[in-house]
Formats: sequence, structure tokens, C-alpha cells
Amino acid sequence: MRLLTHNILSSNIKGVTNGFPLGIEVEKVVEKQVEINHDFLRNIFPKIDWKAFSDASKIMGYVELPEEAPEPSVLDSDLDFLRKFHHALLELHLEEGALVCPQTGRKFPVNKGIPNMLLHEDEV
Amino acid sequence: MKFPSLSSFSSPSPMDHAQCLRLMVFNSLRAGRYIHRFWGTSTLSLDSFCAFGYPVICSRMKEIKVKDASTWCTLVPDGEPHIQSVCEDHKCSSVSVKSTPEIEKKYVHRVYDAIAPHFSSTRFAKWPKVAAFLESLPTGSLVLDAGCGNGKYLGLNSSCYFIGCDISPPLIKICVDKGHEALVADAVNLPYRTNFGDAAISIAVLHHLSTENRRKKAIEELVRVVRKGGLVLITVWAVEQEDKSLLTKWTPLTEKHVEEWRGPRSPCVRCPSSFSLESIPETEENGLSGHMKDSRESLMEDMQQSACLNPQNKDDSLVSKDGRSQQEYFVPWHLPYHRAEVSGASAVALATGLAKKDDKKGAVVYNRYYHVFGEGELERLVSGMDNAVIVDKFYDKSNWCVVLEKTL
Repeated sequence: MRLLTHNILSSNIKGVTNGFPLGIEVEKVVEKQVEINHDFLRNIFPKIDWKAFSDASKIMGYVELPEEAPEPSVLDSDLDFLRKFHHALLELHLEEGALVCPQTGRKFPVNKGIPNMLLHEDEV
Repeated sequence: MKFPSLSSFSSPSPMDHAQCLRLMVFNSLRAGRYIHRFWGTSTLSLDSFCAFGYPVICSRMKEIKVKDASTWCTLVPDGEPHIQSVCEDHKCSSVSVKSTPEIEKKYVHRVYDAIAPHFSSTRFAKWPKVAAFLESLPTGSLVLDAGCGNGKYLGLNSSCYFIGCDISPPLIKICVDKGHEALVADAVNLPYRTNFGDAAISIAVLHHLSTENRRKKAIEELVRVVRKGGLVLITVWAVEQEDKSLLTKWTPLTEKHVEEWRGPRSPCVRCPSSFSLESIPETEENGLSGHMKDSRESLMEDMQQSACLNPQNKDDSLVSKDGRSQQEYFVPWHLPYHRAEVSGASAVALATGLAKKDDKKGAVVYNRYYHVFGEGELERLVSGMDNAVIVDKFYDKSNWCVVLEKTL
């Protein structure tokens, strides 16, 4: 699971009003390189909840991202930032661990990079 | 849960609570007036029991609390069981639309789990209409594929980011092994933030949902997860198949079976579905379109007659006596023997009657549940939505398709 995916995931358990962001429990992180696409990064940047993204990247062991979201213009000029943004967003994978509902503490397992977000009967 | 015959209770010796419960329920069924629905962990509160006049040291059933139920079924001491609905209003349902009905668990989920690798190997041709839709999306779009199967469309547009989800873990494993981003989730309850995606696709998915409410819910979810102005492409199998000979290979489902397996359609509780399926093993040879065996048939009829409340107006999709089109089917999947050995799922499926062998074809035959769509049905499902409009609709290769745009 990449951090871009983490940024869209939310706990959908019945009764949960604030299911985002999910907490992360890390057992294994893997890095997989992928080609950088500046246009893509510029388009996706406005969607990202930066705090959730920055916090999650630290939990995954990557501390290079700024706390505060930079101005969008930085994306046009700062290649170093783009590279870090790209790396944290798309190249860090949670292979083993869990995602945690922030309201109930319920854990959604992540195995072999795949989160299982299915709910039990009593959670729907 | 197996029910003893009435004669086994002729002895006046004391019974334990479990036997007591079984007796009461069995008699209720035979009385044709009273239904319980049991989940694995139903709880009882019992007082002194005398409802059926059996000299047992047991308690009178005051209420039976069934898991997840918002309706209480009550026995009263005069011995006549009756139903009290304590629904807050007339629209309550004890089963959430997000809860998976038995027919989907058995004839969609388990089947795809069992056939995943073989199914995936046959799913490679990219449908031009879907490809065109995806290629028309702006660079950097976040595309959500709900019911992505083996991930055929993930990454089709390399300038976009795709997230796939499917109910089947083996199929998702295939997606991830190919390098895609995918997760296990339910199309009726997507684990995505509202308004995040740029586009969503649902390709040959909704026809596996067995109630109109679930199909509507899945469409609402697709619209929910995209931003305002975002597009949603939905394709479903059509009643009107181009190759009519295909229909001869499908097994039409009769109304009796569909009612039992769908669970509640009406706003208020109908109990029998999972109860009957758990208690009665299947014995038919030819899938489930034939008539049930005698004892089971009468039991089922009792249940239908005793259903707590009157069913609502029938879905358009049911077989109706006025001759409207058949829309509920089992569609076979032939898993070749040499592919079936790969996972133990087929052995289990054969043992439990979920699949059968066809030696002539050298394959394990599974049935997949389909509700095929009639012309205009997708539009009708969308027409009630206040946050989406249809921007395109077409029929292509035996599928009905719509493109929706989220408006607010």
C-alpha cells in the first residue's frame, strides 16, 4: 500500500463519523522505485491532505517531507521537493502491518501490501 | 441447526434450554405463524416456559434477541405466537443494505475466490469503450476501479493513478502481483473519502448484487467517492444478449429461491433466508432451479406464508406471473480439472455442493449469480439521485452502460 492510497482511505465502520486518517502500524516497509512524472505530481498535489501524508511518511520511516504543505508553485521550481514528494507518495510501500480506525481502534490488516478493508457483519 | 421431529419430544423428561428453543421454533414453524432468524450468536432470555404445554423444566420465551435485529419476535403465554414489530418507524430493516446476502456469498464471492487464476487468464481483452473512457481522462486523474477483478483496466492510462478494489482476495493478489495498487473492499461500502477521486469505473460488477437497494447503494458509492464534476462509468450485463444461445446455458432462478436467498426486500424484517440455508443442505443435482424436495418444500412454504410482514411490491427484476422478463440467473463457470487442482477450494466446493463435476467437459462447474439488467434499468436506478446526471448511455456487446457526472 502506497501513501497515496493511504491518503484516500477512510474507516467506513457503522457509526464512525471521523474515519480519516487511518493510523498505521508498521511491520514491514518496502521501497520500490517508479519513474517520476512531474505532471502527475502537480495534478495530484492539491488533493493530498498534507498533514496526514506527512505524519504517515514519518511512521513509514521517511522524515524528509516538510511539516507544512509548500506553496503549489514549489512544484514547478523545486526539483528536490518533487523528488521527495514522489518518493514518499509512490515509492514507499507498507507490505505488512495494519491500518487503524482513528475512532474505534479497529485494525484493518495489511498483508503482502494489500489492505483488507472488509467489515464484519456487526460493523455494517 | 437441525430440528428434531415432533415425536422425539413425546417424553416428559426435562430438556435443556437449547432443546427447548429448538422445540419452540420447530413448533412455530409447523404452526406456520412465527419465524426466528438465527445468527451464530443469538442470545435468549427465558422465563418459565409453558407456551406449548410441554412439561419441561425450562423457561417461557419472552423475547428472542437476534443479532442485528431491530425487531423483536415475541411469544405470549396463551400459546399463540405472534410477531411484534418494534421498529421505530415503518422503514426499519434489521439487515443493512451493506450486509452481504447468502446468495452473493455462495454464488459470487466463493466462486470468484475459487476460480480466480483461471478467471484472470481469460480476462485480457480490453473493451474499447472502457479504454476510450479511461484514455479521455485528464493527466494526473485519480481513478477508482470498484470491482476491479484481475486488474485488467488498472494502469490502462499511464498518466493516471489507479486504485482497484474487489471483494475477492485472490483476484486482488493477482492485481498487486502485476504492480498495481489494489485492496480488498466491498463495492457497496467503499473505504474511500468522499469527493477524492476524479473518476470511477464499475465494469461488469453491479449485476452480481442481488437486491435493487444494494445495486442503488453501489451506484451511490461510486458517485460519492468522486469529486464534483467527476465521471463514473458503469457497465452491466444486459437481459438483451446479442448471442441468444448463451441464455440456454444459463439457469433461470425462480422467484421462490430468490426470495429465500436475498433476505429482506421490504422495509421490515423478513426472517427466513439465512435460517433456511443454514439448516437445510442442498441436494439438487442441477443447480438450484428445480423444485426442492418434499419436506424442504413444505418447510419453505410455511416460512413464506409466515413471513412477519407482507412483502412490498415486487422488484421489477423478479420473475412475475404476468410474464415480465427473467432477470435472475445462475451462469456457469467451467473450471478445467487441471486448473481446479491448484487450490483446495474446488475440493471443498464439490464436497459442500457449491460446485459439481462435469466429466464430459473435464471441468468443475460453478454457478455465478447474476441479475441481468433490462433496457432503462440503469437509468431508473440513477434517476432518484440528486447529485449525479447521466451524460452518456449506450448498449455495447450485450452490456448496458452509463456515464454519470457528479453535480454536487
